[in-house]
Amino acid sequence: MANRQGPPAARARGLTKVYGAGASRVAALDGVDVDFDRGRFTAIMGASGSGKSTLLHCMAGLDRPTGGRAWIGDAELTVLSDTALTTLRRDRVGFVFQDFNLLPTLTALENITLPFDLAGRRPDPAAVSRVVDAVGLGDRLGHRPGELSGGQRQRVACARALVTEPDVIFADEPTGALDSRNSAGLMRVLRHGVDAFGRTVVMVTHDPAAAAYADRALFLADGRIVDELAAPTADGVLDRVRALEEAPC
Amino acid sequence: MLTAMLRDLRAHPGRVAMTLAAIALGVATTVAAWMVGDSASTTLAAHAVRADVGVTVQQTGDTRLPERLRQRLAGRPGVTGATGISTGRAGLVGRDGKLVPSPTVPDRAGTNWTAARMRPAAGRAPARAGEVAVDAGLARTAGLRVGDRVRIVLGDGRLDRPTVTGLFRYRPLGATGWDTTPAVAYATATAAHRLRPGYDRIELTTATGADPRDVARDARDVARGYHVRVATGPEIAAAARAQVRSDVWDLRLTLLPFAAVALLVGAFVIANTFTMLMAQRVRQIGLFRAVGARAGQVRRAVLSEAAVLALIGATLGALIGVALAPAVVTLAGPEAAEVTYTGAPAGIALGYLVAVPVTLLAAYGTSRRASRVPPMAALRPVPAEARTVTRRRGAIGSGLLAVALAVTVATLRPDGANPPRIAALCGIVIGVAGVLLLTPALAAVVLRPFGRLAGRVGPAARLAVRGAARDPRRTAGTAGAITIGIGLICAFATVAATFEQLIGATTRATVPSATTVVRPAAGGDARLTPADLRTAARTPGVTASAAARDAIITVAHGPDTSIQKVTAIEPRALGTVLTPRATAGRADLRRGVLIARSLRDTLDLRLGDTLTLPLDPHAPVRVRVAGVYEATEASAGVYVDAALAPPSLRRSIAAVYVAGPDPASVRDRVRAAFRDRPDVAVSGREAVIAEQVTAQRFGFLVIYAMFGLSVLVAAFGMVNTLTLSVTERAREIAVLRALGATPRLVRRWIRLESTLIALLGAVLGATVGVTGGAVLQHAMLVQPLTAARIPYATTAITLAGAVVVATLAAALPSHTATRPRPERPT
Repeated sequence: MANRQGPPAARARGLTKVYGAGASRVAALDGVDVDFDRGRFTAIMGASGSGKSTLLHCMAGLDRPTGGRAWIGDAELTVLSDTALTTLRRDRVGFVFQDFNLLPTLTALENITLPFDLAGRRPDPAAVSRVVDAVGLGDRLGHRPGELSGGQRQRVACARALVTEPDVIFADEPTGALDSRNSAGLMRVLRHGVDAFGRTVVMVTHDPAAAAYADRALFLADGRIVDELAAPTADGVLDRVRALEEAPC
Repeated sequence: MLTAMLRDLRAHPGRVAMTLAAIALGVATTVAAWMVGDSASTTLAAHAVRADVGVTVQQTGDTRLPERLRQRLAGRPGVTGATGISTGRAGLVGRDGKLVPSPTVPDRAGTNWTAARMRPAAGRAPARAGEVAVDAGLARTAGLRVGDRVRIVLGDGRLDRPTVTGLFRYRPLGATGWDTTPAVAYATATAAHRLRPGYDRIELTTATGADPRDVARDARDVARGYHVRVATGPEIAAAARAQVRSDVWDLRLTLLPFAAVALLVGAFVIANTFTMLMAQRVRQIGLFRAVGARAGQVRRAVLSEAAVLALIGATLGALIGVALAPAVVTLAGPEAAEVTYTGAPAGIALGYLVAVPVTLLAAYGTSRRASRVPPMAALRPVPAEARTVTRRRGAIGSGLLAVALAVTVATLRPDGANPPRIAALCGIVIGVAGVLLLTPALAAVVLRPFGRLAGRVGPAARLAVRGAARDPRRTAGTAGAITIGIGLICAFATVAATFEQLIGATTRATVPSATTVVRPAAGGDARLTPADLRTAARTPGVTASAAARDAIITVAHGPDTSIQKVTAIEPRALGTVLTPRATAGRADLRRGVLIARSLRDTLDLRLGDTLTLPLDPHAPVRVRVAGVYEATEASAGVYVDAALAPPSLRRSIAAVYVAGPDPASVRDRVRAAFRDRPDVAVSGREAVIAEQVTAQRFGFLVIYAMFGLSVLVAAFGMVNTLTLSVTERAREIAVLRALGATPRLVRRWIRLESTLIALLGAVLGATVGVTGGAVLQHAMLVQPLTAARIPYATTAITLAGAVVVATLAAALPSHTATRPRPERPT
């Protein structure tokens, strides 16, 4: 079963990201403190401009914060060099983006094993087939992304994120471009990753139905965490979001 | 990762083709150049050496070796035979009544037939008077066959009319200076009458077992009373081989610069194309980086991609180069039929060796930029780099420009020494770099005032001017490539225009139009005789005459020396038939020598200084500098009194100048006097200048080849950078279209902006190019800066061409940008 003990899979202290200067200064993140426990599925929600995507990118090591500190496991991201950060992403982090996840000139299987190719390691065939079965793609491995449907592409991206058995999987609006049936299918895959494989998933979304699959939902506004909901439901999330929007700025 | 990138190349066949073409061009030129050199070497080596000559005794100076010497040498121990070789003046006259052009100087074009030297190609050897054999190649040029009657002009103007009994192919002794290929061969007895009596050299065959060196020593002893040099066959063969090697290296060094320029152009195109390929893959690279590709891995992948393209391109280029080599040789002359082609393996290896580093170097900048793509690029377009014109760039640019100006001013005085010339060339490069750095600032300053004006013309124009003015970095980047290309064109056009004017300049200044010039029709090293001077001087109506004798010798002033053309002429010539303009001192050869300004600058001479002229290598004369005259580097460095020249030089006349009170009638009468002499040309100075221009043909060829390649560079640079600038703004264009800009408006906008940027780059390039060209000719030709001639016509055509190309170059991407785009997955 999932392990919830031990140090958090990822955390941040005082994370800040500021754009521009003087009159055009914008604080996308304004001193965020957050812990993501192992083996848990967390959804991050908020209105546009709330800073949720920025939080994800900084925690994933894709972007550099202007202040504060962030960790993946016990590795502090903010002090790592570009090479070390890249290696960390390759070996210990998985990504699912809203679109453009896959390289168009590689087959589905090559896309899934890409992190291993970059590391120069041979992937364990058993691990690969386990992941492929989990996402349900067995018969489409030899196809290029251009030959797959949107839902299938997202599942390939999931498989790539799972295959390296990372500390954290970061997903940035993964259902944003999918219909409700494919969204549900994708969410079930991520949930399965948490329950069966013990993965940690952090997902940014604005879709209440997707957030309902999470163990915990965090709400951001103006670059800060303003609310939290445990065992969220779609309705509960909608209520919280509406309450936030009506609150005086 | 490399797999993905290579597969991706298939989506851009046009760009890949351009890259491969560029690499292939550079490699083909390199391989062809190498093969031509190698083939020339092999062919010449195969022809070169005759094995049958044991010892050669050759006269030096201008004497003849008598028959009795030959007989004495024939009787010496170890000598099995002595053959006398005579040479003399013989000019073959073609069907048109003019001299058949031959590579050999007419003074040595006639010889006697000896079996060892002539390989019969048709017919038989001449046996008596009235018969002659002709060189097979020359016969082919002149359209002569065995049995034809030919006219041959001998020394002193006698005309001979023998019948051709045979054609021969000559086997030379090998090293130049010992032997030349004759045009016609008489029977030995006939040669004594037709050519000069006596021998030019005597070839001895030695007995097997006899050491040629002993025979040579003995022969030297026997020929003690004569001016001779003696060498053994092996010594001459070794000298011949060394000569061939040196000639071949000269040939290589002449051809390889073409290859170098082709490679440079190739590198430029590759760098350009790779930049464009990368620009369209930014998102993918971002994804690679996000998933865990390190910056170094990205860089290495791009370079590996470049290396793969280099190998493919080099293979193509090698194939083309091997096919190209025979074509180049054919250009060189009709002797091409007998060339054996070698050097292919080494040439191909060189091609590969050169292609891979050049391509990698060209792609290096792009690989570094690719490695700096952040992982965020996968998620959204990366915000553009700081587009503000940084003060530092402007400061550095101004600094470099100032340095360049200082260097140019410091090296203003034309100096033949190498350091100032190299400094001037470096100044050009520094100046160009400075201008390129300053271009953004210039763009901003020049374009901004036009914004409001343009608004009145229409919305497309306003968008165009604002677009160019508000992003000076991008404008400068696009314009920069155009500046370089146009600059190169204008620089080489300036050099060519100056060079062309220079060649005739001195002749025009020194030879008055009224003077009639009598010179050998064969040109080159051919000479007239004192009899020709007398004929010209005695023509009725001629009141002044003089003969110029030319020699290329090492002039010395103390320890400093310089190789110069020295003209020995009668003092009465200056001021009458020749009028060199003395800018210092007097043009009076009785007081001393008249030197060219360039020689004065090279040796740092003053009036009254002493020069040593080895006109006779055994008895150099010391002379005083009496005057300095205006001359170019290609003309006479020193005019000296003919009385100071040794007799052999006095007899070897390069040109005769005559004048009289009625110039037109003088010319007609002199022409009539030489009517039966197809080996003599009578003309005014313009014909002489035309001949000088032709002689410099190769120099012009080089300049125009560079010119042509510059045009290529300019065109490529323009098309690529303009296309890139439009592609980079695809989103901008999409937004405008969504907001309601019609496709026509967008196309007009892009065309106008491209034209504006191209014009900016072209005007800047023309300015930089002409200025650079002026400094270039100053350094290359050792002329004052002001001697540069501005090629107005070429510059105007180039500017117009740039605008046309820019408009065309913008047409394709603007159409692509406004085409309704189908939704593409992923």
